Amino acid sequence: MSTFIKDFIERETVSRRNFLLATAAGLGAVAAPGLLGRGAAHAALTDPAIAWSYRDRASAYWNSVIAGGEAFVESLGKPKSALVSLINEGSTEKSLADIKAFLAKNNGNCAIACDANDSPNARPVVEAVQAAGAYISTIWNKTDDLHPWDFGDNYVSHMTWSDEQPAEQTARILFEAMGGEGGVVHLGGIAANNPAVERLNGLKNALKDFPNIELLDAQPADWDTQKGAALMASFLTRYGDKIKGVHCANDNIAYGVIEALRAEGIEDMPIVAYDGNPEAVQMVMDGQLLATVFTNPHWGGGISAALAYHAAIGSFKPSEEPKEHREFYGPSILVTAKDAAEFKAKYLDSVPVYDWKDFWGPSNGQIQYKA
Amino acid sequence: MTRRLSRETLIKWAPLLVLLALVIFFTALNPTFFSLRNFARIAIASAPALMVAVGVTFIIVMGSIDLSMEGTISLTAVAFAFIFAQFGGSLGGMGWIAIPLVLVLGGAIGLLNGIVHVKLRIPSFMASLAMGFVGTGAAILLTGGDIVKVSDAAFRGLLTVRWLGFPLMVYIAAFFLFVAWFIQTHTTLGRNFYAVGGGEDLAHASGLNVTRVRVTGFALAGVFYAIAAILVVARIGQAESVTGSNFMFVSITSVVVGGVALWGGIGGVWNALVGVLIVGVIDNGMVVIGLPDFVQDGVLGLLVIVAVVLSTDRKMVSFVK
Repeated sequence: MSTFIKDFIERETVSRRNFLLATAAGLGAVAAPGLLGRGAAHAALTDPAIAWSYRDRASAYWNSVIAGGEAFVESLGKPKSALVSLINEGSTEKSLADIKAFLAKNNGNCAIACDANDSPNARPVVEAVQAAGAYISTIWNKTDDLHPWDFGDNYVSHMTWSDEQPAEQTARILFEAMGGEGGVVHLGGIAANNPAVERLNGLKNALKDFPNIELLDAQPADWDTQKGAALMASFLTRYGDKIKGVHCANDNIAYGVIEALRAEGIEDMPIVAYDGNPEAVQMVMDGQLLATVFTNPHWGGGISAALAYHAAIGSFKPSEEPKEHREFYGPSILVTAKDAAEFKAKYLDSVPVYDWKDFWGPSNGQIQYKA
Repeated sequence: MTRRLSRETLIKWAPLLVLLALVIFFTALNPTFFSLRNFARIAIASAPALMVAVGVTFIIVMGSIDLSMEGTISLTAVAFAFIFAQFGGSLGGMGWIAIPLVLVLGGAIGLLNGIVHVKLRIPSFMASLAMGFVGTGAAILLTGGDIVKVSDAAFRGLLTVRWLGFPLMVYIAAFFLFVAWFIQTHTTLGRNFYAVGGGEDLAHASGLNVTRVRVTGFALAGVFYAIAAILVVARIGQAESVTGSNFMFVSITSVVVGGVALWGGIGGVWNALVGVLIVGVIDNGMVVIGLPDFVQDGVLGLLVIVAVVLSTDRKMVSFVK
């Protein structure tokens, strides 16, 4: 028994010592490129390693983002595998740790595109990248007080999408299809998500111009098809024939709504959605949906990697660009019955070949912050 | 003796009383709640959840837990959609072959789950949770994150064709509920679940092959998850890697609310039915009476606690872990 305890204590001591040594080595690895990288930041990098840091592989959206990133690295004459995927699985800690590991492995010779998973995480990520002398472009998540121009050249750009305006447009299309009167229900995303808030606000903006349209109810369906179906069924019990139109926060919810209505034998309800997924575009063509909105994740994924890469190799100097080239909105394309076929041919049947040096062509103006 | 009996009777029927009370409550606040069409809506939403709850009931009766349902449903749903399309994509043609194949697949996943749990001596909680992740991962691998549509009109008839006001899928679920009831009461396996859950050492000492009962139980649960997966696809016309999401919470909550004791040996498939209906009625009723969405989650949690307090006999339990 005593030898067991002795062994145990010995093992624990050794492992603690190893742990301390490993920690010191790890910190050194992060700090070293930072010291060297300071000088290197002013000179351009040569052949930087390219990475995309994002949430997961289980959604059409992120798959499309990464396909865009791969299209960009292929345009450089590299294989798809030259784009390193840093998958954070929804963990902010993993997002930051992966990026630090990638910086350390490549001595700061990196061009990174990133969605920081949550807004506060963008700052430590950008600071780590700057300290290592690498270059980064971000999308979606950052706090309002974090700006690329405060970090010299290393924080190349930030892109996000404003959903309020497009959601208002889909609402107008919906109301016109309803003949300008009757009740409408909104099935939203996860209540605290920014896009969910903006998409509901868009609907409310449109309501101001349609006094005879009544918003009967707006409840979250958590971006989910099955919740969308169950919520729509409950709405039918509560409001019955008063529902003359349905405004959905994304395509997935709309699929559920259509199925809930199908179960009741209702085929001709006006419905609008958001995201422009291939299935939804097909439904617009078939007349099951009135409209959806495409945010071109393929272009967003490619151009974010391209911006970081070209800033890194010195094709352009971010600090000499105007602010609308550092913080800008991504494209939103409204897809309706009359242009769905053309849209499908152009964007979905064959992915367009983009000029990855036309950094700001399809973008949508400088990001505006609400006071 | 009579007092003791009446208390037991009361506890036995408490879940059903809770369900009736909820129906009366929601009807009083909004009479449209009490209509055939609304009951059909609740039934459609509850049918897949019922199959999951029935499957996990067998496991919980054994005193184990199974958390693999989300991964198993995602994988079997995606497999069903692919196999269905492979065989012509029509129930009228050879597409029906997908159904037995997927039931076998569900059983195989459950079997593997049980073997990992029993042979590697990993607690069922951990073994099944891990197996669930494997299932979700496999579903992502198969679909690459995309949605697989199943739009065959004959198959979708499970949702669109009604008989006495209820879609066919509700009758399918009812049929398999009876199958589960038959297994529970009229087979040796069913009785053995209770023997293991009531006192595993005693069952073992009496010569029962506990290992085999456990593994068979997990395989059986897997088959029921596969039935649930097919009903989900029938309900929403598509399969994807997140098809199984949320079924863990719904099924375990339902089973416990329905009066199946988590410590094993008590309850059965009827409890699962009542539990699923309680959760379904609460979900539907909160929207129907117009409860603001930000209080719905809180109310659901409170009602679950109340239902468990009323419907389980905790007096005989020496400790709760």
